[in-house]
Amino acid sequence: MGELVLDALGKRFGASVAVERVDLEVPQGQMVALLGPSGCGKTTTLRMVAGFVPPSAGRVLIAGKDVTRAPPHARDTGMVFQSYALFPHMSVAENVAFGLEMRRVGRADRDARTREALRLVRLEGLEDRLPRQLSGGQQQRVALARALVVNPAVFLLDEPLSNLDAKLRGEVRMEIRALQQRLGLTTLIVTHDQEEALTMADRLVVMERGRVRQVGTAEDLYERPADPFVAGFVGRCNLLEGALEAPGRFRAAGGEVLPCAAGPAPGGRSVLALRPEHIRIAPSTDGPARLRAATYLGAQTEYHAELGGTPLVVVRPTPGAEDPLRRILPGDAVSLSWDPSAARLLPAAPHDERGA
Amino acid sequence: MAALVLPAGLLVTLLLVAPMLLLFRISLNEYSPTEMMVEATTAANYLRAVADPYYRSVLGTTLAVATGSTLLALVLGFPAAYWLARMQGRWKSLATILVLFPLLVGNVVRAAGWLALLGNGGAINAALLGLGLVAAPLPLLYNTGAVVAGIVAVVLPYMVLTLSAIIESIPRQTEEAASNLGARPMTVFRRVVLPLALPGVAAGSVLVFVLCMNTYASAVLLGGPRFKMMAPAVYDQFVRGNNWPFGAALAFILLGITLVLTVAGSAVLGRRYRRRETEERA
Repeated sequence: MGELVLDALGKRFGASVAVERVDLEVPQGQMVALLGPSGCGKTTTLRMVAGFVPPSAGRVLIAGKDVTRAPPHARDTGMVFQSYALFPHMSVAENVAFGLEMRRVGRADRDARTREALRLVRLEGLEDRLPRQLSGGQQQRVALARALVVNPAVFLLDEPLSNLDAKLRGEVRMEIRALQQRLGLTTLIVTHDQEEALTMADRLVVMERGRVRQVGTAEDLYERPADPFVAGFVGRCNLLEGALEAPGRFRAAGGEVLPCAAGPAPGGRSVLALRPEHIRIAPSTDGPARLRAATYLGAQTEYHAELGGTPLVVVRPTPGAEDPLRRILPGDAVSLSWDPSAARLLPAAPHDERGA
Repeated sequence: MAALVLPAGLLVTLLLVAPMLLLFRISLNEYSPTEMMVEATTAANYLRAVADPYYRSVLGTTLAVATGSTLLALVLGFPAAYWLARMQGRWKSLATILVLFPLLVGNVVRAAGWLALLGNGGAINAALLGLGLVAAPLPLLYNTGAVVAGIVAVVLPYMVLTLSAIIESIPRQTEEAASNLGARPMTVFRRVVLPLALPGVAAGSVLVFVLCMNTYASAVLLGGPRFKMMAPAVYDQFVRGNNWPFGAALAFILLGITLVLTVAGSAVLGRRYRRRETEERA
């Protein structure tokens, strides 16, 4: 057990930069998610922690020890691979016992710990099966048990749920989180699925093109995104380009003036971030906006509206049968409104090369 | 669909099965110095080959050279096959061509090249003599070592390609998982790569062993006149001795022993897998 520290970690492959610079501290027992689109460097970062990719710059510290140059087998990390990477020629019990065997744990102790790990992931009775005789969900649990049983200083999860079907994914997500908290495992998880990251991790690290965009809790990222990328990646968001004309007045590129949070000094290009659920929509006879489409999603309804030349997505609880909003049709005039404080101003240009 | 194998099937029947049946019939005939071959049905040729200490030693040499060459090809081929299998991108096709390249040179041409390299007046001895490192040429040619080296050079590409095909099918992550769990590189090889590559080890070894058992050019050219393996012995009986029945019997002994050993060998290597399969069905 111990904390994980990434100190100015970077990786170049020839001329291309996979990871520009990652600084991160995962305190003992916390779960941190590396979140980002494919190619953002999150997997490379995880592989540098495991020791499969030698960093070009920076250090990896596990429980205070610099392991930057240590080979994978000397790092004391327990990794769950996206493909599970079970040993196909070994039984479930042999798979789980492998790490203990490598650590020269005695036979009796090894058997007991293997049984305990399999009990923990609810696979008792399947000890003698081969991996290919198991379902995807069961294989995934063998992979979990195999990584957990050695009691690693750092637990690493590489897109652990991406090969499971949607229903199972929700269950396993809760299970992994419960195990992680119960065992107090210092955990780094890589995912491109924001819901997965939001529900499982104590803190999230949003990455894009090799750089860390923002680090924070789910609430931080959703409610106080640092830039348009984070706002658009974590949850859905209307991102409108334009400039702040006066405090509280944002002029969109389409020409409309929109109310917004006071924000910084006027002038300069910026982006207005407005969550779809923060916009109110109502039928109107002469409203400035037009409805383009309405999609009924059960509990919610999604409206695509256009304000002047600016498209806006609105998500509202589906109105009751009597509500006139229920009967609006594409082409109808609508009025849109929002609390100015819900409209956040973000810097327009993507962050410069340093990722400042 | 069955019609698709017809052309190849006919060719094999015509050019392999038919001659083999003929050859087997010949092996049961009698030899007479005056009439060459007399129609008969006798096992005398087989009994003579088995009883004669000379042919027993030829068979022994053949088995020893084939087994040694196969093992050497396996030991030398595995690292190369691993390297090839784990290679990425554009260099991989180049490396594959490089592995195949020796096959472009025929066995005889290659053996002739080895003569020029290893002979008493060859490049190596000329250099050693010229530098004054040795007083007389080293006997590099006409011994078992030269034959094994020659054979291994011929069969290595087959071994490497067979092994690399199976190693490629072992996901890299399986090895990473083992090292993540604390296995050192040699342990990863022993516990994960080798067991999973066993079917390829069996296939490559069988292929190479059969090629080794039937070695001709390397044995004749690099082994010299007193070094005898089975294939040249068969040739001698047919062409020099004109004793077709005995030559045919030798050929069938070679064929039979090769067959028995390859079947037995692959059974031993495949045992682990078959055990698993049975467990699965149970």
